[in-house]
Amino acid sequence: MNERLYKIISQVFNIRLEDINEESSPENLEEWDSFKFLVLMDKIETEFNTKFDLKDILEIKKVKDLEKVISKYI
Amino acid sequence: MTDMKKLRIGILGSFTLNGVDEMFKEFCFNRNIDCETYTCGYNQYNQDILKKDSSFYKFQPELTFLILDVRHILGDLFFDSYKITNLERSEFIEQKVDDVFNLIKSITKNSNSKVIISNFQYPTYSPYGINDGKKELGLKEIIEDINNKIRDRIKKEKSVFVFDFNGFVTKYGEVNVFNFQQYFSGDIKIAIRYTKEFVNELMQFVVAYLGISKKCIVLDLDNTLWGGIVGEDGFDGIKLGDDPIGRSFVEFQKRLLALSNRGIILAINSRNNFEDAIKVIREHPNMILKENDFSCVRINWNNKALNLREISKELNIGLDSIVFFDDDPINRELVKREVPEVYVIDLPNDSSEFAHELTTMIEFEIWNMTGEDIQKKKMYQEQKQRIEYEEKIDNYEEFLRKMDIQIEIKEADNFTIPRISQLTLKTNQFNLTTKRYQEKEILSFSQDRNSVIECARVKDKFGDNGITGVYIIKKEDKEWIIDTFLLSCRIIGRDVENALLSEIIKRAKKENVKKIKGIFIPTKKNKPAEKFFQEFGFKKENEYWVFDTEQTIKSVDHIKIIKNE
Repeated sequence: MNERLYKIISQVFNIRLEDINEESSPENLEEWDSFKFLVLMDKIETEFNTKFDLKDILEIKKVKDLEKVISKYI
Repeated sequence: MTDMKKLRIGILGSFTLNGVDEMFKEFCFNRNIDCETYTCGYNQYNQDILKKDSSFYKFQPELTFLILDVRHILGDLFFDSYKITNLERSEFIEQKVDDVFNLIKSITKNSNSKVIISNFQYPTYSPYGINDGKKELGLKEIIEDINNKIRDRIKKEKSVFVFDFNGFVTKYGEVNVFNFQQYFSGDIKIAIRYTKEFVNELMQFVVAYLGISKKCIVLDLDNTLWGGIVGEDGFDGIKLGDDPIGRSFVEFQKRLLALSNRGIILAINSRNNFEDAIKVIREHPNMILKENDFSCVRINWNNKALNLREISKELNIGLDSIVFFDDDPINRELVKREVPEVYVIDLPNDSSEFAHELTTMIEFEIWNMTGEDIQKKKMYQEQKQRIEYEEKIDNYEEFLRKMDIQIEIKEADNFTIPRISQLTLKTNQFNLTTKRYQEKEILSFSQDRNSVIECARVKDKFGDNGITGVYIIKKEDKEWIIDTFLLSCRIIGRDVENALLSEIIKRAKKENVKKIKGIFIPTKKNKPAEKFFQEFGFKKENEYWVFDTEQTIKSVDHIKIIKNE
């Protein structure tokens, strides 16, 4: 799952795979802005064929949270 | 990449439109257009439009998309439009229509930009439910009224179009296009997933504005216009009309017929025995397209790329104005490889999708549909007769004499300006300078005493070719300078250019002008005009071609010129 996820993140933010880790967040990734984040969530929903609740989306502050939320849905 | 067209697009919205600019750039790049965009700050469209020195105007957009949405325009009335009285609702409608119209007017006044205004999506819910329609000015009716009134107000505005946003939502479905999470998170009113479809719809206006529309559809026959192979299945064995597969081809043909009736030329490019195939076209009871609907027919065993080149030559249109439909992927690959200018449609395997494939194309959009555009089919039929006539007479001079060509010269006025501008925008072959002019510019030339701007309507024994020639001349004291001189490709080779230039020179002489000067600006496509000045007797002086009015002027006896004063 993580591999798929990191690939999507790298595509949406247009950054290298090795620049992504569990602690990646808007604080340390310039490319992570609020709009791009919505694009990311949209791509993840398509890729994993699921739909997240808004409150789960709002809890995501870094990549680690993202992994947690996804594992809840698949 | 030097021949990439340039375009400046302004995007003004009442909600978050992030991502639209990038999508525009991508789509434009794929069509060989170098596009720059300006997107207004979040909901800053009013300031951008009303302040004359705004960064929006500094950007100098050529096309501006003003995308307002129904929640924004209705405000709280979106939830309950009945909390104000009938009268207030009716005043509200007038007010909103005025607001929108004034925004459009400001843009066209403060800039040269064309404006595309989105209409409003009809609300699918009303608190009154099925009774919404029974109420005086129900919620849906308010929006219908606003949409209708805006549409009617701009019907005559040549620089303004409505983008049917409601149609876009109908096509893809509100449940898909509107995503509540994204709306609550970032005031996004077109779901991110549909940005691509949205911008694709807007690209219709880009195609039309830049005049890069396609003019001709070239069609294969077997398994493209009917099901099956006539050479194998026989006249009675092909599928056309009476079964599910046959109906899909009838539907496709009906769509094609409607396009041809509005000016898109149809042609056939098929590998077949001529007699077998033409019999279906002439005699099959369910054939919708008739022989006369095709302006050019190639049914033979030649290479299809070769046929396409011939079709382009016979119809006198560029290969890049042609769309090719063929069910056979091998033929498609061949054409893509050998004639890359032709736009090849990758038809789906399933013929039930053919009609849809055609109706989702944006390649046929034109900005200003003139009488000439709609009359095209008739004109090309007449053209076909001319070619047959020409083949009958082997002496070209005699053919020209027998054509009874008449040229009517008209000044630029309200009736001719749209067509004049259109010709400057899209004429590539016989065009000495290829200067592109919008209607506004043509209008200002026509009001300038030191300019001559006229167009030529060319008729002959087979019919009216419509307005097919344009010239713009800048008058100076002792000399006239040819700024623009062009002929539509369909009348090249009839000596019309020589007759027009003679007429111009004679007139100059009468006004005691000593010299006529012109330049030829070479492009990839205007080779047919390359030798024009030289063959007419102009002499090269530095960058200019110069004609001394004391020189003998070529006379063109077989063409009669009528000047409308």
